[in-house]
Amino acid sequence: MRIFKSWRYPASWKFFRLDDRLLLMLMAVIVGLCSGLAALALNRSLIAMFNWLHKYHHIWWAFVLPGIGAALSSLFLEKVVVEGAGHGVPEVIYSVSRYGGLLRFRSSYSRLISSCLTIGSGGSAGPEAPVVMSGAAIGSNIAKYFSLNDRQRVTLVGCGAAGAISSIFNAPIAGMVFSIEVILGEWKSVNIVPIAIAAVAGTEISRILQGNQIVFSHLQFNIDLLDIFACLGLAILTAVASIVLTRMLRSMYGISHKISAPIWVRAAVGGCAVGIIGLFLPVVLGEGYHAVQAMIGGTFSQGLALVAIATLAKVVATALTLGWGGSGGIFAPCLVIGSLAGLTYHHCLILLWPSISWVNEGCFALLGMAGLISGMLQAPLTGIFLIVEITGGYEVILPLIIVSAISTSLCHYIEPASFYLKELVERGHLLRPGTDARVLSDLNVREIIEEDCITVKQNMLLRDFINIIKISPRNYFPVEDEKTNNFLGIIHLDDIRAYLFNPDMYDAVVLGQIMDTKVDVVHPDDDLSEVLRKMDAHQLFSMPVVSNNKFLGLISKATILDQYRKELVVQTSQ
Amino acid sequence: MEAQLFHIFRNNPFGRETLLQSIYFCKKMGASPVVYIPKFTKFLMYFENDVVQIDLDSSYLSSPDTAISHATELLEEGGLSVRFFEPKHYTATTLPDIHTNFDYMACPRSISDLSTKIGLGYIGPKVRRIVNSARFPVLITSPVYKEWDRIAVFFGGSANAVNALKLGFRISRETGLPLDVFTYVGKVSLESYEQVIKDENLKKEMDYFVNKWHIFEKGIFEENLYEVPHTALVILGAYGHGLIKNFVFGSKMEKIQSTISNNLLIVGPNYVATS
Repeated sequence: MRIFKSWRYPASWKFFRLDDRLLLMLMAVIVGLCSGLAALALNRSLIAMFNWLHKYHHIWWAFVLPGIGAALSSLFLEKVVVEGAGHGVPEVIYSVSRYGGLLRFRSSYSRLISSCLTIGSGGSAGPEAPVVMSGAAIGSNIAKYFSLNDRQRVTLVGCGAAGAISSIFNAPIAGMVFSIEVILGEWKSVNIVPIAIAAVAGTEISRILQGNQIVFSHLQFNIDLLDIFACLGLAILTAVASIVLTRMLRSMYGISHKISAPIWVRAAVGGCAVGIIGLFLPVVLGEGYHAVQAMIGGTFSQGLALVAIATLAKVVATALTLGWGGSGGIFAPCLVIGSLAGLTYHHCLILLWPSISWVNEGCFALLGMAGLISGMLQAPLTGIFLIVEITGGYEVILPLIIVSAISTSLCHYIEPASFYLKELVERGHLLRPGTDARVLSDLNVREIIEEDCITVKQNMLLRDFINIIKISPRNYFPVEDEKTNNFLGIIHLDDIRAYLFNPDMYDAVVLGQIMDTKVDVVHPDDDLSEVLRKMDAHQLFSMPVVSNNKFLGLISKATILDQYRKELVVQTSQ
Repeated sequence: MEAQLFHIFRNNPFGRETLLQSIYFCKKMGASPVVYIPKFTKFLMYFENDVVQIDLDSSYLSSPDTAISHATELLEEGGLSVRFFEPKHYTATTLPDIHTNFDYMACPRSISDLSTKIGLGYIGPKVRRIVNSARFPVLITSPVYKEWDRIAVFFGGSANAVNALKLGFRISRETGLPLDVFTYVGKVSLESYEQVIKDENLKKEMDYFVNKWHIFEKGIFEENLYEVPHTALVILGAYGHGLIKNFVFGSKMEKIQSTISNNLLIVGPNYVATS
């Protein structure tokens, strides 16, 4: 019976009390397997749905299929699971930043179903972000179920994301790097080991059930110095494509929200528009991995104009799908747009310098994918490792690094926050561990309020007040109303020094006459960052905390600094 | 620091009854109400180890133009200062976060369903999640405004029941109202309940605060509940029994909430007693 009672509290097991890391490793295996299975479930569902709908794609009315899928997806999210649209990755990062990785249980399946409806019906989106959301929610809820602490929960959220990405791409390093670089934002061994284990578990479950296959196999590339120089131009092109895609996604979102129609109607309109584009350019439909494979394999036999148009069309289709209420992520569209951009660039090179023997077009497609992923996510390592693993193309590692690094830098210069983080940064909600904003967000006024002040009444004589000064360790004296005890103002010793040395005033002055009534006050629910801003702006060292007109205590810069230091030590320690 | 009661305002007659009940509770306890007028039909409450999404029914958003004035009017009539809660953080653009650093929270029996569907004996799943996760006691209000002039604590010997008893002592001390304790002995001997009191060092408080300890040794539990004064604030612990304690309220709790229409102050397993 005791075993049954304690099984939900593994941290109390003697075995794990030796080392918390052992507990996290065990949990990482469980989370990695579960998130890997979730990713596979979505992958299989997409294949099944694609096969089922494939026979309708040549019919003229097939353009409504993406619209129906997006509308159903939107209805499912809005009415059934009552969640907002979107891919969910910012929500995971937000939860990790602010609430120790707490995520709703429903998030572990909601995006899987909604993105399956959107992508399976032909919407231009990817399944990766939904599986990240799902994996992260699985990790969070397993941590919650076993009553793990915040730190351990955050690690398991990272494990879930890593397991999902590793499983869907058969790419353990990319999963691990994505989770640490994008989701957690901190490289610490306490995170890295469990996340690596989860990535291995996710990959293994994928290999067991689907076989160990490279996602995009390709020919041998012989890259010379000229090709590497040419990569500089490709990096710029992919950076531009990343910026265009980011801005178009946001502008489509803005336009769709100006229309006062139900969200499922907007999603249907966006989906139908994608369907119409897809009638002429089928490459824009769905996740588009078949087209990527063809481009990397060198069998995508379209001319420059068509490839360039397809690149733009895919950007527009992705913006229409996701901006108008469809569900899915940007990973797969980035791979398609990146490879199309790479192909366009290769065609341009041949057109400009036909006599030079450039490397195979598949190589540029592959580099374009890395450039776009790195640019959109502003996560160069994820871009590099993902492309190396999903293509097995280690021979392109040098140009890959160049393209990823330049694309990330250019995008960061134009758009300081990545696609995933932009909204969080704008709302001031990106709180990475160890940063000023994060430390301040983990403290609150109630924690650091000092309640040892002596309050005085407004009708008190200066003579009586001097006796209070003698016993008070503080220089601030809040003044309250005699009848209601409401806060009226404050007396600071520096402000009344002149009266103190003039005995004639002792029985002539009451505190109500000399108190400062124009005082900036703090409410117990105010953010400390806001309090500090007020203190800096008015050169204050202490401020009274007042609620419902009642004085509660003082808050001082010295105490804030003291608590800040302690919190920083906690956050940055292993 | 003054205690705060969190209240989600529903701008209709049913919501008025609930707010009146909260106001009455605040006046008795010297707490200040923090009223939230929702702008979206959902919000998140982040507890220490759980996140609960509250999906409100559409009646919470009805007549937004009069919601503030109606709530203000009731609060001012009650002689309380008006403070509305404005969410500062959003998990998604239409999904505000509500912090959980309150001392009490008032809930109708269900906050996710239309008031017309709510009857005695039904406590909604979201209210149950809140009770299960909250560090504060949850005031489940009676269907109509009802003043209380005494306190009744159900004491079943569990850890949560001990917390409920301690809360009863505190409320009795702060309000000066008489406190009655009710225990259904069942298969366990009365001595074991007395032993719990002794082990928890509550003998002194029992003697000081408790007006009468009602012991039910015979009869059906529900029938014995007739003894509970209809003007009592009933305090009890939830989720306190057995292996599945985190999933169900507890059989006694279910019977109490489905039998009596008093205001209930429920203490969950994560409740942290404050002085």
